Amino acid sequence: MTMVKALNSALDNAMERDDSVILLGEDVGTDGGVFRVTDGLLNKYGKERVIDTPLAELGIMGFGIGMAMEGLKAIPEIQFQDFLYTGMDQIINQMAKLRYRTNGDYTVPMVLRTPYAGGVHGGPYHSQSGEVYFTHTQGLTVVTPSTPYDAKGLLLSSIELNDPVIFLEPKRSYFIKGEVPEDYYKIDLRKANVLKEGDDLTVITYGPSVPLVQNTVKKNNVNAEIIDLRTLNPFDINTILTSVKKTGRVLIVHEAPKMFGVGAELAATIAEKAIDYLSAPILRVTGLDIPVPFALEDYYVPNERRIMEAVNKLLNYQ
Amino acid sequence: MIEKTDISKEDLLNAYRNIVMERFLDKKMLNASKQGFLPFYIPLMGHEAIHIGIGLAIRNTDFFYPYYRDFGAIIERGIPLDMALSQVFATEDDNALGRSMPNHFSFKKYNIGAVITTVAGHLTAATGIAYAYKYRKKEGSIITTFGDGATSTPDFHVAMNFAGVYNLPMVFFCENNQFAISVPTYPAENGAFDQTYMETRGDIYKKAEAYGFKGIRIDGTDFVEVYRQTRKALENAKNGPILIEAMSYRMGPHSTADDPNKYRTNTVPEGSAKDPLIASQKALKDMDILDDSMIKSINDEMDRKTTELVNKYEREPKPDKHTMLDNLYEEEPWYISEERGDVQ
Ligand SMILES: Cc1ncc(C[n+]2csc(CCOP(=O)(O)OP(=O)(O)O)c2C)c(N)n1
Ligand SMILES: [Mg+2]
Repeated sequence: MTMVKALNSALDNAMERDDSVILLGEDVGTDGGVFRVTDGLLNKYGKERVIDTPLAELGIMGFGIGMAMEGLKAIPEIQFQDFLYTGMDQIINQMAKLRYRTNGDYTVPMVLRTPYAGGVHGGPYHSQSGEVYFTHTQGLTVVTPSTPYDAKGLLLSSIELNDPVIFLEPKRSYFIKGEVPEDYYKIDLRKANVLKEGDDLTVITYGPSVPLVQNTVKKNNVNAEIIDLRTLNPFDINTILTSVKKTGRVLIVHEAPKMFGVGAELAATIAEKAIDYLSAPILRVTGLDIPVPFALEDYYVPNERRIMEAVNKLLNYQ
Repeated sequence: MIEKTDISKEDLLNAYRNIVMERFLDKKMLNASKQGFLPFYIPLMGHEAIHIGIGLAIRNTDFFYPYYRDFGAIIERGIPLDMALSQVFATEDDNALGRSMPNHFSFKKYNIGAVITTVAGHLTAATGIAYAYKYRKKEGSIITTFGDGATSTPDFHVAMNFAGVYNLPMVFFCENNQFAISVPTYPAENGAFDQTYMETRGDIYKKAEAYGFKGIRIDGTDFVEVYRQTRKALENAKNGPILIEAMSYRMGPHSTADDPNKYRTNTVPEGSAKDPLIASQKALKDMDILDDSMIKSINDEMDRKTTELVNKYEREPKPDKHTMLDNLYEEEPWYISEERGDVQ
């Protein structure tokens, strides 16, 4: 099934088990969400549990946070990550901080789902990769799946977590297909996934860039180890260090811009903890440091040519 | 319906005692901040009738989401003084380990929301709590308080709209003290030097109408009136939300960080008829509940009691520094464990 169907199946499983699970957002009810992730759930679970909201991200966020404070499991959908910023205060100042600032008197066990990154030629306001705004906010768990199987398992694990999760769905992967069990299953949120073992270099990537990295490595017969982070914060340091110590060469690929990005944190952490194992500088292939342009999006995102240039540079580095 | 008999003479007298206590405590906490025991403080003077009135109106089954100027309401609602003062003085007994500024209470087991510094940052969460009450068919209603300046924020308008759309069991309670720091709400007759800047040209209570429900304006210096209207609103909220605008006057500075003489002349000096303490004395005297000798003895008692309390809490130990990294997540991430080494 597609990633959209896998996400729908996860929500369905969770709602079936637990009547405290509530969906809310713009057009999530009758319309089933603009990407159809919540399709059919209104009919199955009714208006009290699948709530069409007024057009206000700030309200959607706060509404969900309040429900979570009162013991419900709110799962808001923000139609596009680009529009979430109007509710950003609630994320940074309320959702992320409530457990800490009350020392656990209140927690916010809620999962905010939102499609992010490019792939639909949506221009500057339907294509953003804003993950660092969340990874740099203390208290959030930031999760991003790369396959239909992971999408369902990671979403169900996120729903069970007693802390707030920003669940970033790569919209360019919404319609890729894969095997997905109908039944309930979970995936460890604190563990990265080694997608392919290899000896010559480590490629660390996540979300929307995973299929590109896999295809590029396969097509060009690169003996690379590929790590899909799955969770960006807190990321799985052990899996990364084990691989880096084996290969000594590191490439980081993500669609978000380079400057101050997730790649920067990964590179700094690897350098701090394993510089003696490195045989080459850590390289990054990322989106360009500009807003996502409408007509020229394909030149903005990482591609096979840029990844192979970096791979060759790393492999040939003396 | 709420009748006069709904509130006993004993309750009224106790409420008055809490008004006096709040006034004395306020002065002593402000003083403690001047002496360096509190790095920051938000004075309460002028809000006492509102605080005690709503505290009296809230039942155990109701949920109260306050803002940062609601000390007296917390006490009247029944929170032990020790818990409240541990928070204000950020001592090791504070349930939140001194992580927030004074008056930022969080008492889940008393159905009290976690006060947030961001003005109006709690209003949309209050709507979510109200939705959960409705969904679970819980007894009680939600009351949330905020200042007049808060009504200029997007949060206020979004929360009011959601409350109207889902017909939530909510009371929006605006404590209109006529200033948002230095900016006057409605400039006329509040002593502001500059009458051209303001929070709003429209009456706050009328804004409810645009969201499909009723708004009322009440006298926020009369605690019995505040109690009656709030109690009535909480009971009727089962049929839908209401906005209450309670008119009062911030008699002191906004916080310990400003000097009101820079932007206004005080039109409600202490001891004047509009001072809620004086107004409360008069109301209870008119009902034959209070007389001059009682006023004097209550003053003496509260003066003594609050001095002892503040002296005690000024000197209570602060939280252990090793607690600082606790409870960011349920499961501690590796980098927090590493940072424990940084706290020596
Ligand atoms: C969103 C936001 N902006 C600015 C501030 C700084 N600030 C704190 S209180 C305040 C004035 C609030 O006035 P009002 O809502 O009338 O409440 P009052 O303090 O008068 O009780 C301001 C500007 C803040 N805390 N939050
Ligand atoms: Mg004010």
